[in-house]
Amino acid sequence: MIAVMETNALARRLQFLRDTQNADGGWGYFPGKRSWLEPTYYAALALGGPEEARAWNCIRAWRNPDSGWRPNATVHTSNWTTALAVAWACARGETGEPFARGVEWLLGTRGEENAWRNRLAARTGLVDLGRNVDLTGWPWLRGTTSWVEPTAHALIALKRAAAKVPSQALRSRIETGEKQLLDVRCSDGGWNYGGPRALKIDLPSYPETTALALLGLQGHNRAAMQPALDFARGYKERSRMAAAWLTIALRNWGVESQAAIAPELPAGGDILVTALEAIALTKPEVLKAA
Amino acid sequence: MKWKRRDWMLVAGAGALAGTAGYEKLAERRPTPRANSPVAIVKASSYSVELAAKILEGVQACGLDVRGKRILLKPNMVEFDRSTAINTDVSVLAAALEVFEKLGAAEVTIGEGPGHRRDTWDLAELTRYRREIPRFDARFTDLNRDDVSAVQGFADEDEIWLPNTALRADLIVSVAKMKTHHWAGATLSMKNYFGLVPGCVYGWPKNKLHHIGIPRSIVELNRIFARSFAIVDGIVGMEGNGPIQGTPKHAGVLVMGSDLRAVDSTCCRIMGLNPARVEYLAMSEHLGASLESDIEQRGERIDAVRTNFQVVGEFSHLRLES
Repeated sequence: MIAVMETNALARRLQFLRDTQNADGGWGYFPGKRSWLEPTYYAALALGGPEEARAWNCIRAWRNPDSGWRPNATVHTSNWTTALAVAWACARGETGEPFARGVEWLLGTRGEENAWRNRLAARTGLVDLGRNVDLTGWPWLRGTTSWVEPTAHALIALKRAAAKVPSQALRSRIETGEKQLLDVRCSDGGWNYGGPRALKIDLPSYPETTALALLGLQGHNRAAMQPALDFARGYKERSRMAAAWLTIALRNWGVESQAAIAPELPAGGDILVTALEAIALTKPEVLKAA
Repeated sequence: MKWKRRDWMLVAGAGALAGTAGYEKLAERRPTPRANSPVAIVKASSYSVELAAKILEGVQACGLDVRGKRILLKPNMVEFDRSTAINTDVSVLAAALEVFEKLGAAEVTIGEGPGHRRDTWDLAELTRYRREIPRFDARFTDLNRDDVSAVQGFADEDEIWLPNTALRADLIVSVAKMKTHHWAGATLSMKNYFGLVPGCVYGWPKNKLHHIGIPRSIVELNRIFARSFAIVDGIVGMEGNGPIQGTPKHAGVLVMGSDLRAVDSTCCRIMGLNPARVEYLAMSEHLGASLESDIEQRGERIDAVRTNFQVVGEFSHLRLES
């Protein structure tokens, strides 16, 4: 019975995604909106097949001269969605020049907290930010600080790249990024957006960012990760987005999530959440790091 | 002396020359400083009273005409914690919607782009917006994931990308919460506009604004979205370590006006804070009034509703004398 319900829930989601693919091959965050890289990536992963190929053709044109990717056709600044494009290229076996330059863009992008002046300020005691500024993850946009979600996406992309093109530079950056993620873990055992403390007061973690951190840390020492996995498994999350991310992340660690995927489609025609739920229901392995 | 974290964030940001506005609509959006800006203070002892009547009283006292206008209500919906008062109360938002519809607005929609949480619809459920506001799903836009357009000139940046839903509105109503803020001192109707900046471009949190500088970003956003009205929910606000981890504080007021700087300055005085020492209010002289002599107070007098809000130590200098 549960299997039938899941099959129906999946079929509804896949049909919804087929119905909402834009003429350019991409997806907006909501039906009828312009295509963006993030929902396009996850909807394409959920559907596969010819829809995925059309979607890839759409976003291929969004590569910038600086080798990063723009988040949609009109916003011309490269940002965190570059990691999604690199991970996607890798999964498609497209390891040519755009992929290699995208990897370089990620290797050349770091959180502003790691800039020399800020490291100097930390070492001389001028500032205590409550995080180790010698470690660096990835920012949402260049010139800003590292946060959990873009760091997780960059780690997945670079781990995939390292599996195809092993290099010391990749390994080293991955190691530093993992350390940075572990450094900003909240005291309750999970992760929030990346600020575990404010004014020396511990802040709580969020389920969706905990799940993303676990995805970014795939392949990290299992024993060391077990407390975080146990913590994540304890979430009984009502947020549709969080439930989908938790299911995807935990299954990639071989753990069953307690967060349930609701049978009905998400509110507001949310294409990103619909796609994540479809992935959670059938193929969380499409977000394997390597 | 240790640097404050706020200073560190500024140091971490890039410095460059100030940008200039080039977007064709900015000239008409740029406000003219008003003499004697009207600000209405209306007492409301709880969320159970007839709030639509209270908001109507304030809107009319300020002489706002919304007939035929497309209005976007921008609540403060940040995170949810049932033990405190983070978000604009649903009853205030619902009452504002009812009032503007009755006054003949062509359209009243709601939009918000929370700074930390990505599942905006879930926040709307937790805050009871989805359950208690009529046709919420049809009215609501997640501004973090809306389509966007470039607006030329934002602080030192060549441009900023902003949600089309906000750019197309004839009037944005900042339905804000009266709170202290551990980086900005106070968060009221002007700071509420951080939620107009799209996460899909700038992330969660919208850290670019921190690197530009919180006060400067507040001022710039209010320059761009000058066609505004404010309704500040001070029925139960937040004091101490706001905007999320503070303590609920009953002030029993709604504060309204078309000059958001004047509204926020009045809110500060009600909260026992000196607006001249709140950096973004001090920096925004070109946007509106702040001195008591330049504000025409309508409804209640400030001293009749003044309720001192506690602030974190770093902002103790904001407290008004006496």
